[in-house]
Amino acid sequence: MTVVNLQYYAQLREQAGTSAEQFTTTAASLRDLYEELRAARGFSLSADALKVAVNAQFSAWDRPLRDGDTIVFIPPVAGG
Amino acid sequence: MSRFELSSAAVDLAAQRDHLRHAASGGYCAFEGWVRNSNEGREVDGLSYEAYAELAVAEGERIVAEAIERYGVTDARCVHRTGDLKIGDMAVWVGASAPHRDEAFRACRYIIDEIKHRLPIWKKEHYVTGESDWVACTHVYREHEHENAHAHHHHSHMHNFEPDYSRHTRLREVGEAGQAKLASSRVLVIGAGGLGCPVISYLAGAGVGTLGIVDGDHLDASNLHRQTIYSASEIGEYKVELAMRRVNALNPTVKVQTWKEPLSAANAVEVFAQFDLVVECTDDMQSRYLSSDAAVITGTPLILASIYQYEGQLQFVAAKPGSPCLRCLWPQEPAPDAVGSCALSGVLGPVPGVLGAMQATEALKYLLGLPQPNAGVLSLVNLIDLSIQHLPIDASSGCATHGGCVEVARRALARSLDEDDIELAFDRLAEALVAGFQLVDVRTPEEWASDPMPAAAALQIPSVKVSERASEFTDGRYLLVCASGRRSGHAARVLRDAGVREVYSLAGGLSALRSERGLCLANP
Repeated sequence: MTVVNLQYYAQLREQAGTSAEQFTTTAASLRDLYEELRAARGFSLSADALKVAVNAQFSAWDRPLRDGDTIVFIPPVAGG
Repeated sequence: MSRFELSSAAVDLAAQRDHLRHAASGGYCAFEGWVRNSNEGREVDGLSYEAYAELAVAEGERIVAEAIERYGVTDARCVHRTGDLKIGDMAVWVGASAPHRDEAFRACRYIIDEIKHRLPIWKKEHYVTGESDWVACTHVYREHEHENAHAHHHHSHMHNFEPDYSRHTRLREVGEAGQAKLASSRVLVIGAGGLGCPVISYLAGAGVGTLGIVDGDHLDASNLHRQTIYSASEIGEYKVELAMRRVNALNPTVKVQTWKEPLSAANAVEVFAQFDLVVECTDDMQSRYLSSDAAVITGTPLILASIYQYEGQLQFVAAKPGSPCLRCLWPQEPAPDAVGSCALSGVLGPVPGVLGAMQATEALKYLLGLPQPNAGVLSLVNLIDLSIQHLPIDASSGCATHGGCVEVARRALARSLDEDDIELAFDRLAEALVAGFQLVDVRTPEEWASDPMPAAAALQIPSVKVSERASEFTDGRYLLVCASGRRSGHAARVLRDAGVREVYSLAGGLSALRSERGLCLANP
């Protein structure tokens, strides 16, 4: 089990109903984690539409998770 | 109580006038339109009016309500005749009562101008020769479109204005040399909305030599909570014209160039090349990707920002080899449904103000040659907890893996040019049907129910589903339709990429149909 800190922006924040949470997961990679969250939180966007950052750096989706990682999923937004 | 009537009988003037009597009104003003004995050199001995009654009444009510709101009159009413009228008969009557006369006169004028411009009423003239003719639409001069222009003349002494930039030049990093740099700079602002308002204001105030402004929209009442350079009295006018007027009023020494239509793949590169810096302030993903492509191709730096509810994103695209562009982050333009909009998701008014002010700051820093330590990062601005997170973008893992930003941008632009026949404009959906198109409603099921299309759709497929249902587009020509043309445009491009050739998008969507109904108008 890995415990990670999640931060949500824009549509994801709205759909999750929170801007941050601590999450315990068995997911091996960022992509698996997002798929797990997508089912649990009802996210409408697919991973392809997002960028992901870990500990304030953009990251590849196949990166393994480590305890204490701060993970941010970032959707593009268009408002102006 | 209905304030607009279509009447086949003569107008009861006394009754109409009595309706407008209110204790709060200090005066009343009326306009009567009469049938005259000639039109464009032909002698007329009468005319007939035919109305699309249901629509005319609804639109007439709307016009009167607009006048009441716009000018703050106590009450206003209008009656339009239908049927056969003789010379001298009253064809239309407008009345308004108000605390003061000015509002009453202006409300009257607004109502008659809009009635003639917008109402689905057709006029057939009967000539003394025995012939008769339906009278063609003519352009109607609408006084309210010029109200501010008239007011502007009173301030002509402003042209002698000498700007005082002392609060800027006092900054050691700016000085007279910096101010001279600003005066010789040319900055293009794309989008004169929530982000564009502060950008335009601050750059104009700072004395940037030339400001280009691009926006195709008219001011809407729903813009006013965040678009701070506009006024309620300006609703309906082109934002670029209002923004130009605002810049002229704020700093008459700034030159302004305007574009009344969004840039396209055909002209973006040429326009970008005329500027030192571009600030992208639209709420439109397609525009943002086009701007990123044009920026890297022309080497013109670009400041991107966008907002969502209580947060925003900011990215400075340096447009130099080795620095990241928008496609380095998100290579493909996302579907409009995925990115949200102010209209659908809502936005707290000051949020675009904050992000726009940050864009203006970045713009001035760039023009002045000040340090920009966070250029090339994506900044996430969260106005709930007031945090800003800077995420460095690794350019080597972005477009670099697909031939580099310039190459990726050129391919994207070439593809857009190939697809420039996708947008088709129709005044009415019936015309598209006559032209052999099958209509496809790509809105959501909620929209199908709440706002049915004026003509029946052959297919109903929400835009997010067109990709998986591309096989349903067999032979035939398809016109995709949504509310604004954005989702249908994106869906049409997705289908073209999936191999469906004869697929098009209704330019401007259903709202464009409604605002230019193509109806012939009464001319009493």
